[in-house]
Amino acid sequence: MGGLLLSSVPHPAQSPSPSPVATPASPGKPSDAEVAARASALEVAGAFSNDGFKIRDGHWTGAIKLKEPKVIQVNLYAGNQYWFIAAATEEAKSVQVAVYDETGKPVEWEPYYNERQSAAGFSPSASGPYYVSVEATEGDPATFCLIYSYK
Amino acid sequence: MLLAMLGGAVVAQEETPAGSPLSSEAFESVTPRPAEPLSKVDLNEAIRLDTLTIPSPGELMSALNKEAKPNWQNEYRQPIPTTFSSRAQIALNVGGLIADGYIALEAEDAQQVKNIGKDIVALAKSLAVSDSVIARGNSIVDFAENNEWPALKEELEATQNEVKLALEQQRDGDLVWLVSLGGWIRGTDAVSGMISENYTPESARLLRQPAIVSLMREKMKTLPEKVQNDPLVEHVSQKLNTLETLVSFPPESTPSAEEVKELKKVTKELVEEISRKEESK
Repeated sequence: MGGLLLSSVPHPAQSPSPSPVATPASPGKPSDAEVAARASALEVAGAFSNDGFKIRDGHWTGAIKLKEPKVIQVNLYAGNQYWFIAAATEEAKSVQVAVYDETGKPVEWEPYYNERQSAAGFSPSASGPYYVSVEATEGDPATFCLIYSYK
Repeated sequence: MLLAMLGGAVVAQEETPAGSPLSSEAFESVTPRPAEPLSKVDLNEAIRLDTLTIPSPGELMSALNKEAKPNWQNEYRQPIPTTFSSRAQIALNVGGLIADGYIALEAEDAQQVKNIGKDIVALAKSLAVSDSVIARGNSIVDFAENNEWPALKEELEATQNEVKLALEQQRDGDLVWLVSLGGWIRGTDAVSGMISENYTPESARLLRQPAIVSLMREKMKTLPEKVQNDPLVEHVSQKLNTLETLVSFPPESTPSAEEVKELKKVTKELVEEISRKEESK
């Protein structure tokens, strides 16, 4: 199976430009680090768009450090396919995304990993709430951004 | 090759539990580090954001498209008023119109998308929101004229988020959840209508959305007292109790055809009440 050269990823600007919605983790204007992390996440998401995935316009940014995973609740529908994509600023050497069912048990997901960019592909068999964690697995405290896409 | 390997162990392409390989040609798979189960504290303290925790109406419609071949035009409704005096009612209706936009998109009906885009702009103007929302609305019209359906899905959600941002900037951030709620109610109205017309157990199980209603109820309680006392908001809050019962069934259960019809009835009535102008007193 051939890997993907990220240089072949279409620029996110080819899609409708994302809105600058603030999140509780970043009230007001986003910082440069948040913008950089989001751009990095969108770079990966752009590749999935080629496969028909629609990128949600919302995002979640915040601080991340080793052994302190951040967790968000999402609500998914059976039959859809999802990619949860996280990217961190350069202080973190690697990040990992994981997906859990509503009881907190890890589910099987398809991983993608490229140092500070990580993604988990998941296709739920039951509709309902799930949890997604983002964790720095190597490096110093950094800023991360999580987005997701579906089809 | 820019791909690195996590944990150093490359494995063969895995299949997801639902049996559909995801984007298998584009990405290499690597073994993730085994994840530990989340604790109850982790679950309770998990972040919940309206822009990510609440799915877009398009996600539910996308799931239904895989179970059936819905005729989305059957779920169109008459154009709604675009002049309300209550900002809470405007917020609920913006969300509802965004859901209408997704329905028209699923029907690939360019004229309907354009009409809805214009209504969204008209409603947004009554919120005195920024030019960026109006520009988004105009983009919807442009994309519709060119039948750019995938781009329209993302533009619709971006428009909704621009409205939410404008509300936050106008210190009306509490109303942001009402936009999401309005969209969820209208989306569930349309999808439950389609399912009740062509009932299958598989499609009925899509309606399981307990955490969404639970979160919405929680957020309604945090609205400013003035907004909570709005008769329409009070009514919607009360109806959320009924809705929570209808969409909160165990993962292994299946709602009956009658239960789906009841969900359609409740959401349809709510959609009508939200868009009724005299309710905004």
